[in-house]
Amino acid sequence: MAKVKKYKQRNILMKLMLAPYLFLLIAFGLIPLIMAVLEVPGESLTNPDGGWDAFKIVVQDFRFPQAVKNVLGFMAIYVPLTLVLVIVMALMLDVRHTKWSKYLRMAYIIPASVSGAVAVLVWWAILEPTISPIKSVLNAFGIESATQIWQTKNLVYIIAIMTFFTIAGNWILIQYGSLQSISSEIIEAARVDGCSAFQLAVRIKLPLIRKYVIYMAVLLFAGGLQIFVEPQLLTTSVYTGIANAWSFDQLSYELAFKSGDFGGASALSIILLIPSMIGALVVIFKTDMFDDKTIRNKQESEKADL
Amino acid sequence: MSTAVAPSPKNETKVKPLRQESRVGMFFVNAWLIFFAVISIVPMLWLVLAASKTDPELSSRNPLAFGSLKGYWNAWQNLQFFDNGVIGRWVLNSVLFNAAIVIIATITASLAGFVISAAKIRFKRTFLISTLIMMLIPPVALVIPLFVMMDKVKLVDNPWSVILISSLYPFGAFLSYIYYSTTIPPELYESARLDGCSDWQLYSRIALPLSGALLGLLAFFAFIGNWANYFMPYVMLYSGENYTLPLGLGFLFYSTPAINPGIGATSVPIYKPEIALAGILIALPIMIMFLVSQKRLIRGMLAGSIKE
Repeated sequence: MAKVKKYKQRNILMKLMLAPYLFLLIAFGLIPLIMAVLEVPGESLTNPDGGWDAFKIVVQDFRFPQAVKNVLGFMAIYVPLTLVLVIVMALMLDVRHTKWSKYLRMAYIIPASVSGAVAVLVWWAILEPTISPIKSVLNAFGIESATQIWQTKNLVYIIAIMTFFTIAGNWILIQYGSLQSISSEIIEAARVDGCSAFQLAVRIKLPLIRKYVIYMAVLLFAGGLQIFVEPQLLTTSVYTGIANAWSFDQLSYELAFKSGDFGGASALSIILLIPSMIGALVVIFKTDMFDDKTIRNKQESEKADL
Repeated sequence: MSTAVAPSPKNETKVKPLRQESRVGMFFVNAWLIFFAVISIVPMLWLVLAASKTDPELSSRNPLAFGSLKGYWNAWQNLQFFDNGVIGRWVLNSVLFNAAIVIIATITASLAGFVISAAKIRFKRTFLISTLIMMLIPPVALVIPLFVMMDKVKLVDNPWSVILISSLYPFGAFLSYIYYSTTIPPELYESARLDGCSDWQLYSRIALPLSGALLGLLAFFAFIGNWANYFMPYVMLYSGENYTLPLGLGFLFYSTPAINPGIGATSVPIYKPEIALAGILIALPIMIMFLVSQKRLIRGMLAGSIKE
């Protein structure tokens, strides 16, 4: 009897230790989701009768197809550009480890500190021929004035470049790290068999880090769909009106805070959440990235290595 | 450090003939690696140098020339003219909010990871999967729903809305779980229990003393993930005195003619160098963190699943 009591007491302490995190998880993960769903059928100017038509109404909003075009156009550049360049950079860094590699990796991570509002500021300057650090390059392309660059049709490229630089350094380091997880025996064996550095990278290393590449693709895709800060700051603060309701999140923001249509904004949030959710589930269940056993085995074999 | 990272001298000699074979290829590889490094550094370099110059110097002098140390001081002084020195308030807010976030997030995540790895509780798998889902969904996806909720509990325009939301740290909880379940064998807990340790003591006497590296990782990622955050605070906070530095920077774009030609002349001396200085205050702390913690970054972001 005493034993049971003691065990229960123990478990209460454990639960108490878990409680703060669990509270945050439920309060800011689960409840907002439920509230968003409940918010959708609320009555508003755009959805006067209320009800689940809110989904239909938001998709039929005249700004929605424009946002689809912008965001998909942006992602068609951003996702492949980032995937390919990051992997190429990581594989190149892995060709030879010299004392310089460390400094190169340091350099690559620097743009990651220039994100959000600061990224907008810096890229505004880079693309402003009067003060740009790449003035001569811009001039070589015949660009003498900022108005040649800052046009709505160019935004997909500009925003893709901005987000690429913000995120690339992190991913180069991660993929470089994933390459270090390949066992040195495999590399050695391939070299003995006469593999060139290029063949080694493409035929041996790349297939072996495939799951990390999938992981990256999913996160890039999910993140790209939710682009907000760059176009929002550009349109409110730098070139007024250049990117109004340009992305889905901006449209959602406008619905909520300009038209007071929280039902429509919540509906759009939920629509956008679906692809992110699918992506998350794919990574969790279809790759072994976060599989308990894989991680444990890996750690075990590492211990054995030592 | 494993052998994969630093090849032994023996390996060096073995592969030498292969390297000579592709000397031209190596030249291009190195050239590209260096080229990309230069491209990576230029934007930050411009930013840091911009604040040292005067506004006219920004266009008249070489964009990558250094102005003077006094330039930074002048820019800071000029920023004080904006809304009675509200910039100081923004700096203070950023520091305080982030300190609170880092502390709450690190403690809650570390405790959660410990409990999940050490206790036999029900719904462990459900709990882990919901944590992973939260970790893989971009945080901005929930901003509007979070606003709706914070509005109902009357926490909008209250810094605690930002602090509490940002303190949910699923990545940290998962990282802690992996860390504890791989560094502390379950037998250790068992024998400690037999010796009469309470669950709290299991944490405070066994897990915590072994958590140095973990807590560093958790604090590092909590900081870099939140310091430059824009969208969520932008939605939650609307009074200027509650702004963080990134919101303040956006506000400076919006309300001064420095980079927005649409705004007419104002009486405050806020030009490009002043704005650049505000940008430096945001970017530099993160850059320093990155440079001193490169290994943490690699290790943490692969959730401890690979060799260091």
